[in-house]
Amino acid sequence: MGIVPKETIEVTAQSIGITNLSPEAALMLAPDVEYRVREIMQEAIKCMRHSKRTTLTASDVDGALNLRSLEPSYGFASGGPFRFRKAIGHQDLFYTDDREVDFKDVIESPLPKAPLDAGVVCHWLAIEGVQPAIPENATLEVIRAPADNKIYEHKDGPLIDVRLPVKHVLSRELQLYFQKIAELTVSKSSPALFKKALVSLASDSGLHPLVPYFTNFIADEVSRGLNDFLLLFNLMHVVRSLLQNPHIHIEPYLHQLMPSIVTCLVSRKLGNRFADNHWELRDFTANLVSLICKRFGNTCITLQSRLTKTLVNAFLDPKKALTQHYGAIQGLSALGHTVVRLLILSNLEPYLSLLEPELDAEKQKNQMKSYEAWRVYGALLRAAGLCIHDRLKVFPNLPSPSPSFLHKGKGKIINAEPRKRKLSADSSENQPPHKRLITTDGPDVLRPQDRTGPAPMHVDKPIGNYNLPQNSAQPSSSEQASDGESRNGKEKERGKSRAISMKAILGQIWKDDLDSGRLLVKLQQLYGDRILPFIPSTEMSVFL
Amino acid sequence: MDPEQVDEFVMGYLKKKGFNSAAKHLQESLHNNNGSTFSSIDYHNDPELNKLIRSFSQSENDPSRYREGYSKLRSWGYNSLDLYKHELVRVMYPVFIHCYMDLVGKGHTQEARSFFNSFRKDHEMVHLRDLQKLGGVLAPSHLQEMEFARSLRQSKINIKICQYSYDLLLQYLHRTESTLMLGIINEHINFQVYSGQPNSASDDIEAVTIVGSFHETADHVNQKEIHWGLLEDSLEDRLEKTGGLLSDSEKGQGESKAGDMDDSKKRSAEIGKQGSSIKKLKKDKAGTATTKVARQETSTVLSSMPRVKPELAMPVMSADVEESILEDLRNRVQLSSIAMPSVSFYTFVNTHNGLNSSSISHDGSLVAGGFSDSSIKVWDMAKIGQAGSCALQDENNQTVGLNGRRNYTLLVGHSGPVYSATFSPPGDYVLSSSADTTIRLWSTKLNANLVCYKGHNHTVWDAQFSPFGHYFASCSHDRTARIWSMDRMQPLRMMAGHLSDVDCVQWHPNCNYIATGSSDKTVRLWDVQTGECVRIFIGHRSMVLSLAMSPDGRYMASGDEDGTIMMWDLSTARCITPLMGHNSCVWTLSYSGEGSLLASGSADCTVKLWDVSSSTKLTKAEEKNGNSNRLRSLRTFPTKSTPVHALRFSRRNLLFAAGAISKPSS
Repeated sequence: MGIVPKETIEVTAQSIGITNLSPEAALMLAPDVEYRVREIMQEAIKCMRHSKRTTLTASDVDGALNLRSLEPSYGFASGGPFRFRKAIGHQDLFYTDDREVDFKDVIESPLPKAPLDAGVVCHWLAIEGVQPAIPENATLEVIRAPADNKIYEHKDGPLIDVRLPVKHVLSRELQLYFQKIAELTVSKSSPALFKKALVSLASDSGLHPLVPYFTNFIADEVSRGLNDFLLLFNLMHVVRSLLQNPHIHIEPYLHQLMPSIVTCLVSRKLGNRFADNHWELRDFTANLVSLICKRFGNTCITLQSRLTKTLVNAFLDPKKALTQHYGAIQGLSALGHTVVRLLILSNLEPYLSLLEPELDAEKQKNQMKSYEAWRVYGALLRAAGLCIHDRLKVFPNLPSPSPSFLHKGKGKIINAEPRKRKLSADSSENQPPHKRLITTDGPDVLRPQDRTGPAPMHVDKPIGNYNLPQNSAQPSSSEQASDGESRNGKEKERGKSRAISMKAILGQIWKDDLDSGRLLVKLQQLYGDRILPFIPSTEMSVFL
Repeated sequence: MDPEQVDEFVMGYLKKKGFNSAAKHLQESLHNNNGSTFSSIDYHNDPELNKLIRSFSQSENDPSRYREGYSKLRSWGYNSLDLYKHELVRVMYPVFIHCYMDLVGKGHTQEARSFFNSFRKDHEMVHLRDLQKLGGVLAPSHLQEMEFARSLRQSKINIKICQYSYDLLLQYLHRTESTLMLGIINEHINFQVYSGQPNSASDDIEAVTIVGSFHETADHVNQKEIHWGLLEDSLEDRLEKTGGLLSDSEKGQGESKAGDMDDSKKRSAEIGKQGSSIKKLKKDKAGTATTKVARQETSTVLSSMPRVKPELAMPVMSADVEESILEDLRNRVQLSSIAMPSVSFYTFVNTHNGLNSSSISHDGSLVAGGFSDSSIKVWDMAKIGQAGSCALQDENNQTVGLNGRRNYTLLVGHSGPVYSATFSPPGDYVLSSSADTTIRLWSTKLNANLVCYKGHNHTVWDAQFSPFGHYFASCSHDRTARIWSMDRMQPLRMMAGHLSDVDCVQWHPNCNYIATGSSDKTVRLWDVQTGECVRIFIGHRSMVLSLAMSPDGRYMASGDEDGTIMMWDLSTARCITPLMGHNSCVWTLSYSGEGSLLASGSADCTVKLWDVSSSTKLTKAEEKNGNSNRLRSLRTFPTKSTPVHALRFSRRNLLFAAGAISKPSS
């Protein structure tokens, strides 16, 4: 039957107080109601067209009722189209989402902002037939085949497939822009100007036609300039800006960009080994990788798996240099804690046993090498720590300690810093803020009582005043590193013995989640209490 | 057949039909004569009659016969030879709708509905709107009430069909004894049989439009004589007379000096940045020899055009205005497929879905918007342009303007949504039409309402000034278009004839005709002096939304709801080519000053430019070659989610566009 069933008529009749409507009458009325409704909608569509709109609104229906000299339907005034919700269990039944509003709330709420008044703005849609690339215009398609092309194919039928080479025309302005940016990236002479350029790259619309050129440029320069640290850093900054630009559709070019990015992450040599802080570059690039995976992981399904494979290969190959390992670990840890748990933590024990001799100052005479080893160790520690931190955050039902108590403990924090942890922390500029407080130089003597103290419990709270400049803590001299290292050896032993006693307690506390409990215990074994700062304060408070 | 059996059939038939007295008479006479008189008629030996009687007696009222008959006819039609198929399939649609209406008329609502739903897919592509209308018809009373259904029932549909297809169809109908289908076809279809090969499938646009009793009248009406030439002694003529001198001195200093001086004057009226571009364009024009040639060509074309006398008393133009127009014409940029215009876009912001219409004055300096809150707002872009460059940058301040005052003129007076607001040619008046059935005249100098014209009975959809001002035309939901002059309260002429709302109106450049586009999917041309309809243009498949007349007065473009634009030759009332490309409503159309380009603006957020110059020159060669697709889309300018409401080529051929930005619904 029609769209309007007779039940609807009956219900409507009841609602307006007609109780004795015979079913025959309802049956007769139903088609007529449908006809009238259609009639009104037809007029409403006319009103919509004359209002130069393509969405039907309540005012159009009112206009149609007005045309028919009928009373408009009151109470549906709305500027925009309605939002309809689907009724669950019915295929084509919708209703408007009409919430009940409390009068009191309406009266008490402050006056809403007055709507902005109508205005007219003017721009050039085209100049002599060419659309200028300004924010007011829609972004141009990157590649536009000549219009005649299609007609040509059409006429000749499917037999002859004429394909003219696709022309990619760049406007003069864009060419100049590209040249200028490339120059700035390579020359490294004026960092201030370069910063401005990056901002422009990250925000300007109309740059889309340049993306293929930029990807090409980056790939070329990365392969050419592996020894030039600053250049690489600049290039990665350019990549980040391009990723940030909301007007650029970068996805099709990702596969060209990724090799360059991965190179900057896990290459054996990036710039001068001694003079340049290539660790920073690797960390920055790791962040880029995580950004890309977050944004495009859903659309490019193979992206993350391919990336992880490359990184794991680099990580697990003992022949690769320690710097490469470092990059791989940073890259993997940037991909999230599941990746870390599955790929790093499962391989942690054998890897650490490999790393052990390098760490030992007695066995490893080359100071540079041992410094690198400690770097890798720090990266591992951080990855594992963040992973466990994320795991533990899941339990919210533990009582949290009073904040005042935490503040009392604060005074000890600076001193409580384990000296050795510095190595893991100082390089990480993009770590969560809590890590920053660790970067201060601790005193030479560690106080054992601080270990169990509440010192590391501020992990969830950013503490600005301890955020000392990191450079002061940068132990770029290898002598300092080796100095700390000898102490570390002793510390580790002590930590281990302590860990055994703690093991029981830990196991008990997290027995409801055996997995993470065990994980923590294992980490505890491997790292000693260096892992403790990563444990959220609430969990830690159980100790106290 | 046994005579008694026949008597039985007849008796049964009469009873079924309710002819009780006749049945009684028959019974009596059967008794009296005992069948002797009847047997004298040799009916039982006539097999045709036999069958007919049988079919009548069998199932007169059985609704399933319609479905059976139609589905058989349909499968036959679709399985016929490809050569004749499209002609035979053409017959399906009228049969389909009449079967449906028969069923509804007899009260078989349910069967009608299921019949409709099972076969509507076949016709949806071409006749979607009609089917939507008919779908609501569910009771016999609706058939009477609904104008569309009534006109379908009352009139016959013309179908052109070749002799062979016609024979095929008749043969089929007789062979299968589908008297029902035969009846419908006889009743509602008027075959125009021609000998020879069937027409190619492509040119059947005319054949599919069914508009009641139109075709006969349309053919008749379209025989009338019209004079599409430009007015004698028009400004273009005068320009040409003086043009000889000027085109020589064009290269010299005279032009550039005068031009610059005039430019500076002009610039106060137009926006600052526009002036510079005009200069730039002018340089190009002077530089390239090809455009020169083009200009000469067009001028020769223009002068060879016929000239007509005005039938209305024309308003006298003041010398100043005339001078400035002449100056504009002299400085006009020649556009062609290789010389594209610049497009300046006015974007309405913060309209909150309330902007119903917008228009741009001839020089582009004023922009008016008609709003659904009954107000009209007029922006002076020259003023905004002066203060503008800084205001453009911070968007929040921009709408407030300087000193917190609004930067537009608010015209209040209407008591219903304003559906059109247009400028008089010199830009000193605004004409607005509204749902309150009135048309109002406003002065942009005084910022006040001058006159309120009452006469229409329903919402006035559109009102347009004549090319020379003073007169204006309006069109309305009451299915009429009216001609008014500014100094009279009552309309001068009333044009009635459209079968549905008249949605848009446009003047012919010589002021002797107006064109109207309607929801009945036709465009009509009316003689202003006599008020007669002189042309009917049939071919659109949905409501006509926009019209434009070529400057030489020979062609007309019309855009519809589906995005199709049609180019019409006024003298033959034939469509030259449909311009396909837009995929949503074409709100506005505009010809460039010399008629070589057509600009169209649509709800799909694009402005398209079409090359229409080649068609106007090469029509004769074209006719020989057959209908090749000469008119082509030159450029598409996408806007940033802004449907294009209005377009206007200035006299210097700068294209202005306007539209309200719509936030993408996410």
